[in-house]
Amino acid sequence: MSEPSIFFSEVNERQGAFHRRSFLLGGFAGVGLLALGGRLAHLQILEAQRYQKLSASNQFNFRLVPPPRGLIVDRNGAILATNRPNFRLLVVKDGEHEPGPTLKTLAHFVPLDEARQARLLREFERTPNRTPVSVMEDMTWEQFSAINVRAPEMPNVTADMGEVRVYPHGGAFAHVIGYVAKVNREDLTETGPNSEPILLHPGFRIGRQGVEKAFDLDLRGRTGAKKVEVDARGREIRNDTDGDIPAAPGKTVELTLDVDIQNRALEVMGDESGAIVVMDCRSGDLLCMVSAPSFDANRFVRGLSTAEYRALADYERRPLLDKAMSGTYPPGSTFKMTTALAALSAGINPEERINCSGGWRFGGRTWRCWRHGGHGPQNMHDAIKNSCDIYFYQVALRMGPDHIARAAKALGFGQAFDIGIPGQRTGVVGSTEWKRTQVKRDPTWHPGDSVSYGIGQGYITANGLQLAVMTARLANGRKQLNPRLIKSVGGVEMPPGDEVPNLPFSQEHLDYVRSGMISVANDRSGTAYRQSQLGLGDVMMAGKTGTAQVRSYDGVANRDSRSVRWGLKDHNLYVAFAPIDEPRYAISVIIQHGGLGGATAAAPRAREVMRVALLKDPEIRARIVQPMPLPDVTDLPPVGIAPDGAVIAPPPMTSSPVPPGEPT
Amino acid sequence: MTMSALRRPGERDRLVVKFTQIDWTFAVALCLLAGTGALMMFSVAGSSWEPWAGPHLFRFGFCFALMIALALFDVRVWFALAYPIYGLGLLLLVAVEFFGDTRMGATRWLDLGFMSFQPSEVMKVGIALALARFYHGVSAENARLSWWLLIPAAMIAAPVLLVAHQPDLGTAMLIALTGAAVVVLAGLSWRIIGAAVVAFVVAVPIMVMFVLHDYQRARVMTFLDPESDPSGSGYHILQSKIALGSGGFFGKGYGLGSQSQLNFLPEKHTDFIFATLAEEFGFLGCALVLALFAAVIFMALRTASLAHSHFGRLAAAGVTATFTLYVLINGAMVMGLAPVVGVPMPLLSYGGTVMLTVMIGWGLVQSVRVHRYTEVTSGKGAFV
Repeated sequence: MSEPSIFFSEVNERQGAFHRRSFLLGGFAGVGLLALGGRLAHLQILEAQRYQKLSASNQFNFRLVPPPRGLIVDRNGAILATNRPNFRLLVVKDGEHEPGPTLKTLAHFVPLDEARQARLLREFERTPNRTPVSVMEDMTWEQFSAINVRAPEMPNVTADMGEVRVYPHGGAFAHVIGYVAKVNREDLTETGPNSEPILLHPGFRIGRQGVEKAFDLDLRGRTGAKKVEVDARGREIRNDTDGDIPAAPGKTVELTLDVDIQNRALEVMGDESGAIVVMDCRSGDLLCMVSAPSFDANRFVRGLSTAEYRALADYERRPLLDKAMSGTYPPGSTFKMTTALAALSAGINPEERINCSGGWRFGGRTWRCWRHGGHGPQNMHDAIKNSCDIYFYQVALRMGPDHIARAAKALGFGQAFDIGIPGQRTGVVGSTEWKRTQVKRDPTWHPGDSVSYGIGQGYITANGLQLAVMTARLANGRKQLNPRLIKSVGGVEMPPGDEVPNLPFSQEHLDYVRSGMISVANDRSGTAYRQSQLGLGDVMMAGKTGTAQVRSYDGVANRDSRSVRWGLKDHNLYVAFAPIDEPRYAISVIIQHGGLGGATAAAPRAREVMRVALLKDPEIRARIVQPMPLPDVTDLPPVGIAPDGAVIAPPPMTSSPVPPGEPT
Repeated sequence: MTMSALRRPGERDRLVVKFTQIDWTFAVALCLLAGTGALMMFSVAGSSWEPWAGPHLFRFGFCFALMIALALFDVRVWFALAYPIYGLGLLLLVAVEFFGDTRMGATRWLDLGFMSFQPSEVMKVGIALALARFYHGVSAENARLSWWLLIPAAMIAAPVLLVAHQPDLGTAMLIALTGAAVVVLAGLSWRIIGAAVVAFVVAVPIMVMFVLHDYQRARVMTFLDPESDPSGSGYHILQSKIALGSGGFFGKGYGLGSQSQLNFLPEKHTDFIFATLAEEFGFLGCALVLALFAAVIFMALRTASLAHSHFGRLAAAGVTATFTLYVLINGAMVMGLAPVVGVPMPLLSYGGTVMLTVMIGWGLVQSVRVHRYTEVTSGKGAFV
């Protein structure tokens, strides 16, 4: 487009070259711009969808919302574990904001001493960027609002409302239910439910013991998500409520336990160490399973200080141990029903009398009866009633261990029951086979082993649950009842404990042994007569005392243990069922180092707990509570009952009644 | 005003005549581009004139006035000042080498007390001016192939090496390519051009492996495979491509670009403003802006070819080449076709220095246009 040059004579080579090449430059620019346009078309038209997805995944984030943890309730729906709101202070570490100065600022509003700040800073070092760390839990409303008002100045701080687990009954259910705690690094796995990202949420808690642990996945629920728009630093810009995925609460776990019985059982234990287990003799449901002393599970939710933990762990009565399941003790005389059943099954005539003179020479030593003066000639019924050791020494020696072991296993000894939570220790059920395989230094069964076996000492140990099962099976008299602790999970009933085979004993033999237990508690000469009177009319209790020695009494003249220190005292046991005519509830009580004679420490406690259980049972109540004869009501003014239960009496008579017809 | 007025030496020196000879279509195109830049800055600042859109328009207004003023300067003034400007630029580059401010590991700034200043920017115009001035007196024969060519080679090499040493690879490359463009336009032999291209293709990998700084090499490597490290150094390219692609054909709408509004896009108001534009206005908006750039470039090239003086032609074309390179390099970078080098999109991006350089360049181009019939033989008469 150049105009003809008239001023310059030189239409020269330079101009020609420039024009040609400026076309090239223009061409180069054109091609370049077209290439950019082509690239744009590729990105914005052909691949637009792909990049729109990437853009949305940049823009929107799903913030996980921990679901409310499922409730744990007792058999009547009373709440044993629930959640309460919790004002929580979270701090996020990102490239811009250092947690140190933030904590210093926060210390003006909430109590954060130097030591706590230092511990939090260490936690921040372990935590990846943008993962919130809980700085403070359970803030008061004042603290919560003070922080919230200042939130715009502190973009890396959030004060929000979460939920925290709470156990309204404190220690009574601590061993059964367990507790929840913060997630440890060891809890996280590569795959499976423990790999889910919700575990990293600061408000998430994982089940640590008991039901909380065993049913953790059921209780967790389904994680929800909050759809939020975030900026490049991951800060929330706004919440898109339409995109939220609601969290589904965890399933409710219903236990067979009864809150009243459980609480009373822990109360009656007082300072003692031991366990109480109550079992329904017809269904196998466990109504009470208490281990004492206990601890407050709520402290574990918050996180124990080292001092608190040491105090619990170092206490000689071992509150952290579940003595109902994991403590095994020699059953002592409570084992005599088993020996008796074994003897009856082995064909020993129960009416055959064995004389008890207080001592019996065998194997080069004198085996003593608990009663130094002796019981005189005893048949099997008397021997159970009086808990005569001499009788059972000799019967056990005569039939040998394998009969006893068979009967013991049929009654539930040496077995871990599937009650849904882990932690049962099976204990030992001695037999020739067992000793041959398990006792390396002395594999042969000696006759002397049988002698102590007969009275529940030596190669026989059991936990409280097994003793309750044994009693319930005896009381039931028919079925090999299994205990059940979990009634339902999320409304789905768990298999009951009474769909089981029958006991391998004849009805006659079981009745015989049961009559012995009835005499223990109801004959004036029975070992636990005074302590077994329920005071509930014809609803009566049958039982069996037990004392399990923890040291050898050879050469000890006096077994009275009032003067020895706690750790050397005998274990004190009592097993019982009631009512005797139509057994409903079986109970086992173990008082660790409770002293001599099952009647002294264990039986009164068993009686009290049994009374609570019986009085809660409407059928039993109907038997006990007799309607009073109606009073003569002819000269009483009519009394109405308002719908709210208030008694409405007619107005009191005045001295001069208003005559009818007089204006008022 | 007619063309004849321009051909009468007395008439054409009148300011009014000069004023009408400025390419006003071209000026409007520049205003549209700068306005688009301000529009996008207003958007990414959350509908606010602060901190970018307002200053951007203010600067553009100042630079626009400067361009008009420079356009009225006789082209012979430019001719006379060509070597002094180049020499001053070179001197300042040497000064940077010794007295410069070091920011973020690079020594690019001279602190003048009241403002900081990048001498390398002077060189972008200076190299075009000086080479045009040089070729003005060189015959076509010598421009094609002769020992004379060592002089322009040295004139290009000196500032390029100084700038590369700062290190500012992007600017060094721009100066080198601007110089090369002028040399080619002046009529360099195709054989040498071919040889240079081959040498360049061979030298680049060697440069990348042995001469570049680590951060520069990392940029090249992430360019080659940006998705290998999406949160690290490949982040810029990837986020920019997401912004572009997610805009689609019609864009997300003004003020609704999530990539830029939520800061996923780095340097959203400077080097990556084109991606902001692409996200909110889509392919349609981008195509219009690219068309505007094309119009600016072709109008400038036409101005260059109208000039009757060899100096005017080459200087205007050199400035246009710089501008074209800016647009193409920034566009390629934003679209993931080139490594991230700190080259802004002229007129669209926020940044005073580049705006000033570009508009001074356009002032030169308009001066060439206004004085296209002025005979340039030497600096003589320039200041009459």
